[in-house]
Order: sequence, then structure tokens, then C-alpha cells
Amino acid sequence: MEQPVTVAIIEDHPVVTEGVASWIRSDPGDRVRLVQTARDLTGLHAGPAPPADVVILDLELSGELVTTQIPDLVAAGYRVVAFSGHSDPAIVMETLDNGAHAYVSKDEGRDHLVEAVLAAAADRPYVTRSQARAILADQRPARPALSEQERQALLLWFQGMSKASVGRRMSISENTVRQYISRARAKYAATGRTAPSKDALLARAIEDGVIKPGEIMPYQSFARTQPIAPAWVPRAGE
Amino acid sequence: MTTVQPRALMSGRYQRAFTIAVVFLVAGWHLAGAGGQLLHNRPDYTSFAFQCAMWLVMALAITAGSVLVLRGTPGWLPAWSVAVVALAASTAAAAASPAGQMLAVNWSWGSAGWTGVLVLLRRRFTELAWFLAAEALAVLGVQVWDGLHRTDLAGFLAVLAWSTGAQAAVAAGVRALDVAAGQAAGAARSENAARERAATAEVIRAARHARWLALQESAVPLVAELAAGTADPGDAQVRIRCAVQAARLRRLLAEGDEVPGSLMHELHASADVAERRGVAVEIETAGSLPQVPGPARRVITDAAIAILTAARSQARITMAAVASGIAVSFVADTGAVVPLPAAGEGVAIEQQQDGGILWAEARWNSR
Repeated sequence: MEQPVTVAIIEDHPVVTEGVASWIRSDPGDRVRLVQTARDLTGLHAGPAPPADVVILDLELSGELVTTQIPDLVAAGYRVVAFSGHSDPAIVMETLDNGAHAYVSKDEGRDHLVEAVLAAAADRPYVTRSQARAILADQRPARPALSEQERQALLLWFQGMSKASVGRRMSISENTVRQYISRARAKYAATGRTAPSKDALLARAIEDGVIKPGEIMPYQSFARTQPIAPAWVPRAGE
Repeated sequence: MTTVQPRALMSGRYQRAFTIAVVFLVAGWHLAGAGGQLLHNRPDYTSFAFQCAMWLVMALAITAGSVLVLRGTPGWLPAWSVAVVALAASTAAAAASPAGQMLAVNWSWGSAGWTGVLVLLRRRFTELAWFLAAEALAVLGVQVWDGLHRTDLAGFLAVLAWSTGAQAAVAAGVRALDVAAGQAAGAARSENAARERAATAEVIRAARHARWLALQESAVPLVAELAAGTADPGDAQVRIRCAVQAARLRRLLAEGDEVPGSLMHELHASADVAERRGVAVEIETAGSLPQVPGPARRVITDAAIAILTAARSQARITMAAVASGIAVSFVADTGAVVPLPAAGEGVAIEQQQDGGILWAEARWNSR
């Protein structure tokens, strides 16, 4: 049997930590082992060596958003899975842009947290419904270009269908649905700020055949998809 | 609700008022000041007709300049064309004046200077400086050509210093007023935006407060029963009641940053009914949603009610902005196919049944 993935929880509410620990314990394959819990980031660094493979990070510690601390965690070699009550798409996007592997909202924890940790440990994409929602809502000029199929798969997944149902709806296999959703996620790993975790995710996606190197565009070229509206109006006499 | 004055429009209005003031100043100077001097010294000119012609050329330049500046900041070529014509006319008029009497009889330098101020006012300040310097050089050139009469030269230097100073001061003053107008308009805009934000926040706060009060009537008694031991957590009915209250609490917390929208509120109202029956309902949105007209909203909420009524224990409603419209979807454990109301009013409805789970989507297209 493979070594279990080691995980640390950073969470300021003990009751939530306890709940996450119970989800980890109840995993039938015992695929994840909890090695550390901390109430803040200093607590994490004071912990045992070697550090955990994956950190489950509550985005709000003692009333403060800690999304800006994610790059430091990633640089220290952790893979970060954000676990938060904030499902605001802008916060989700910032979390991913800062190098977190996945985002799991507190409502989604029971069904998705352990799976997201396992995917993160393998540098594989894991897209929760709240993450799909943030991608669908993304209007930033530097967002990656998604194909119609990727967008439709994300929409149906966000709407609450199982991946098998999404496949039936789109007349494709469940595996292809996963591929579309993973590819959309991988495109995001190729945009925004650079982070070793994003490079790892992208490299793994290429290795797994989820995305081809040629499909990675740093950002959407608007000139190709829509005409640019004139941003200025010529002054009289000029 | 107050309408926000666009900043550019508001400061543009002030700028136009300053421009009009300068147009009046220049036109007044040329008509009364220069025109009066021209008529007063009529016998002294070598050719009165030539002086009048130059005065008219200058008047035309001022008219053209006024039209230009009232239509916006003039471009490089039209502005300098007017300035050069004014300077040429004034130089010609001065050169044709009798030597030695220029200080008394010359009317043209002032008009040329003010015309330059008029057309170059809102262009770079250095352009106006160049123009005033060119005018000073032209004055000096005419003096040299006339043979440098000492009294004339001294007088002209004094007049030049005074008029150039006044012209530069007016230009600088208008610029300062432009900046102040821009700032005032900016402040007014942010104040309006803050007021609108506060009004929206108040509407949302009131709605949340109302829902919070409703929870007082449903969640609080349940918690009290659990605490007193009269409700048994082992009882399936109690567990469903807890799930429903938890869903409502979650929704209350999640709604904090949503802007109130009619469709959203109507779907919430439908969800409330289902929740009272014991169905846990989630509602989520993605993207900024368009306003949906009343008839189309009725088609969508009719579908919502049909599905939520058939749901056994849980339902998820999502609203997503899609190209040119909105996709409202329902996923619920209805157990069987639900007959849905007819589509129409620009709403298309599709559904798919997978085992006991129904998926349906109502898509409204704005086109």
C-alpha cells in the first residue's frame, strides 16, 4: 500500500479542526494521515519536521484574511488546500492565483475535502463547485480563454449535477467531463503570478494528457475574440 | 435615488463657463479697447483703411478662435493658425503705424496677445509662453525697423511687461480653476457613490434583519427543544428540522454580499415554502446577473415551484450569467420526472432525469 498523504490543519476554531479530523479518520482507505494542527501560521512553522505534504488552510484566521500568506506557504514547499466559509468568487480567484491547489467551501467539506487533499498531494487539479462558480464568474481581462465545452462542463458541474450526469447531458464520457474541467483549471495555473505549485500542477496536467503545451496561453487575446471598443473619443479639431 | 453626475460632464460644465468668460474678455478687449483706440487716433495713421483691414482680420481670428475653443480644446494646427494670423496682423498694423508715435496710436499688440491666450489656453503652457515670446520679439523687431526711438522703446517695454503678465496670469488662473472643478466633481461623484452604497447596504440589512427575525421563530424553538431534551436528535423528523434550519442559517450568512434582485427574491420565497416542508434548499449565483422581465420571471418561478414541491429532501438552485442571458437551474431528488410548466416569454426549459435526481434548466435569453 502507498504511504498515506500527510496533512496539517491551520484553523482557528477547534470545533472545525475536530470536524475535519473526523472526515480524515472516516476515509475508508485511510489515505490521509493528520500530522499537525495549528491555530495560526506561526504555529505551523513551529511544528515537526519534515513538514506535511498538504496544508488545509482556513482563509480567515482570527478575523483576518490570510490569502496573501499562501505564496510563502507554497514557497516553503507546502501544497495548500484552502477551506473557507468565504465563497466570494474574487476571494476564490485570489486564493488560486496565489498558488493554492484547490478551494473547498465549508459547505463542501464533507464531500470534497479529503479528495481535494489527495489530488493536491499528486499535483492534480481538483475543482469544487464553488471553484467552478468563481471561474464562471471571472471577468478579469487577464482570464484564460476557455472552450465552449469546458465552459459548459463547468456550468453543469456548478449547477449541481454529478459528473456522470454532466457526461450524459453533453453526450460525452464521464472521463471527458473530468478532462474538460481539469483543463480549465490547468489553464488558470498558467496565468497570473508565478508559483512553484502552479508549475507543478501544469507539469502534471501535461504529463497526464489533460492539456497540451500548445493549449497553454498566458492570457486571453481579446483582439482575437472580440473587437476592442474605442476607449477614447477624438476631440473636436484633432 | 440620486443620479450620479458623471465627473467629466460636471467638470466639463465649469470649464466651459471659464472658456466663455475668456471669450468675452478677448472680444471685449478687441471691440472696446483696440477698436476705441483705432477710432480715436484715426487722423494719425498713414493709412486708416489698412489699419481697419488689420483690425477686421484680427476680429475674424478672434471669432474663429472662439468657435474653436467652444467646441473643445483645439488641436495644434488650428490653434496655431489663429495665433499666427493674429500675430501677423498685429505686426503689420504696428509696422504701418507712424514711427515714433507707436505707443500712442498702436492698438494691435494687446488684441494679438489675448487671441493667443484664447486659443492656447488649454494647450501646454509652454506653447503660450512661446507665443508671448514671439510677440515680444515682433514688437522689438518693429521698433528696430522704425529706428529705435528711445521713449517709445521704454514705454513699450513697460506695456509689454504689464500685458504679458496679465495674459499669463489669466491663463494660469483658468488652469487652476479647471483643476479645482475636476476635484470638486470628483468629490461629488464619490459622495454620490458612497450614498448609493449606503442605501443599498440599508436595503440588504433590512432584508437580512427580517429573515433573522423569522429564524427567531423557527430555529430558536428547535434549539430550545434540543436543549430541554424534548426533541430527540435520534428522531428522523428532528434531524430533518435541524437540516432545514441549518440550510436557512447558511443562506442568511451567505446572502450578506448579494445585491437584492427580484428573481433572486422570488426564488428565495419559493425555497422558503419548500423548507417549511422539510426540504433543504441551497441557492447560489455565478457572475453578475441581468435583470429579467416580469413575464419571464413568472415562467422561471413556476418551474421552481413545480420542482421544489416534488423535491423529497434536498434541492439546489443556481443562477448563472450566460452569454446574453441567465441560466437558472434546479437539481433535486424528485424521484421521478416532474411535469414542468410550458416555456415561453423568451425562456427555454430543458430537463434530464438520472435515477432519482432531476436536473432542469430554465434559460432566459435577452435577445
